[in-house]
Amino acid sequence: MSTGIIILIAAVIIFGFIVITYNALIALIEAVRNNQKQVDIQLDRRFKVFESLIEVVKKYMDYEKSTLKDVVALRNQAQAAHARGDESSRIEAENKISAIASGLSVVFEQYPDLKANQNALQLQEEIVNTENKLAYSKQALNDSIERYNATKKSFFTSIIVGFFKGKLDFDFPYWQLSSEKIAEQENYTVKL
Amino acid sequence: MNSNNSLQPTSLDWRETIRKNNHKTFMVIFLFFLIYFALGLLVDVYLYSGTHDSMYGRPSISEIVIALLTFKLFPIATLIMLGIAGISLLITYSAYDKIMLLGTDYHEIDPNNFLNLTEKQLYNVVEEIKIAAGLRFMPRVYIIEAEYMNAFASGYSEKSAMVAITRGLMAKLNRAELQAVMAHEISHIRHMDIKLTLTASILANLMVIVLDLLFYNALFSRRSDRNNGLAIVIMVLRYLLPILNILLLLYLSRTREYSADAGCVELMRDNQSLATALLKINTDHEANAAAYDQAYKSTPHENVRREAYIFDPIQAGIESTHSFSDLFSTHPSLADRLKAIGFIFNK
Repeated sequence: MSTGIIILIAAVIIFGFIVITYNALIALIEAVRNNQKQVDIQLDRRFKVFESLIEVVKKYMDYEKSTLKDVVALRNQAQAAHARGDESSRIEAENKISAIASGLSVVFEQYPDLKANQNALQLQEEIVNTENKLAYSKQALNDSIERYNATKKSFFTSIIVGFFKGKLDFDFPYWQLSSEKIAEQENYTVKL
Repeated sequence: MNSNNSLQPTSLDWRETIRKNNHKTFMVIFLFFLIYFALGLLVDVYLYSGTHDSMYGRPSISEIVIALLTFKLFPIATLIMLGIAGISLLITYSAYDKIMLLGTDYHEIDPNNFLNLTEKQLYNVVEEIKIAAGLRFMPRVYIIEAEYMNAFASGYSEKSAMVAITRGLMAKLNRAELQAVMAHEISHIRHMDIKLTLTASILANLMVIVLDLLFYNALFSRRSDRNNGLAIVIMVLRYLLPILNILLLLYLSRTREYSADAGCVELMRDNQSLATALLKINTDHEANAAAYDQAYKSTPHENVRREAYIFDPIQAGIESTHSFSDLFSTHPSLADRLKAIGFIFNK
């Protein structure tokens, strides 16, 4: 009688633990997925902001005429790569847009008229804001992947993940630069 | 501003800092509930020690406690007290919206209509941190029209979350430092610090009320059978418990500050900006101590914000009564905070 009750209680506890762990992992997985989409949202936002931004800057200088074309081309590359599921070429294309963005900031520094212009200041703030949002959304994505991986691989939880491999076990890639890119960035020095 | 010269970077593990302080917080909150529960039992013991003499002769206190814990006696006072605590917590959680702005001259930033570029920048900075934190809602952003440099956050839900910043802080910090301050504030929201602090202080207040009732009852009751041991316990507790409560609340507040600082580093992956921001705020408060003292004092209800501020004005010598500054402070000292985010501060 009493062993029966003990077994019952143990079964209820184990069942409860499985349910709670399962639900917690589902929440973590969905957070990662949402954060992946958040990066897309920010990339999309950046494209739109830069498009309108370059339109404005064009009035001030010739420099930008080809830039818009570059951005549009890179954006198309990125989207095509995304459609193919080729994340690394997509990341490369997006990083080139980032380089153009910092180039734009340099342009602002070079033209005092433009710098003093209130609209230009607003646009500069817009660039910083856009790039920060993108960087932070990537960071949030990596953070949520870290939380998911740490939970998934921890003991007891890993056993439950073993039972529901199809539903709970995913291998999300961290957002990162390619190794060639890292080597290139590491060797980079400022030449004055 | 050459404050960077006095900062010596060391290493920092924000994950560890947050873990450590969350553990401390758990202990404090657990202790509060434990004391509250024990006080409920004390009330029960007091009530039953008065009524059950005739049946059992005089039961000892330990016998009553055992009877209560095994439900041979029904712990009515404990349950009523837990009920009252639950209700007052729910009411406070839902009514806490704007208390924090009481008495200040403030206005909310409207994201559809920025008055100027600095407002837009502030809103952008908060929005960026919101993305980094993965917060599901955008807190409302307020500007307080005051010269002194300070900021605070409140709330924990879409309805109640808000950050507020003084005009002085906005004017004197650069973008990254502003972001660090906002990351500290958003960390408070993200860690639900307001809810924690509210819970602890409501329990503390209820304890004092119950203890007072008990004290006066014991003092003036005509119970001839009064249990003297019990009366002494009540008497001692009445004077000790409030002090213990205050120490625990302040300790809680300090651990939450450390956590928010570490949370800021977690969100920004940068500790330099927060360090220089804290230094600037401190230097500025010291330089303008007299003027700010006046400004803080002329703002009504300043005490509701004291714990929530990023920087405790009392520490800069404003309202200068802090001889036990370490134990009785809502915020850790500047040097300790800088040390916790990885800098050694040489004054």
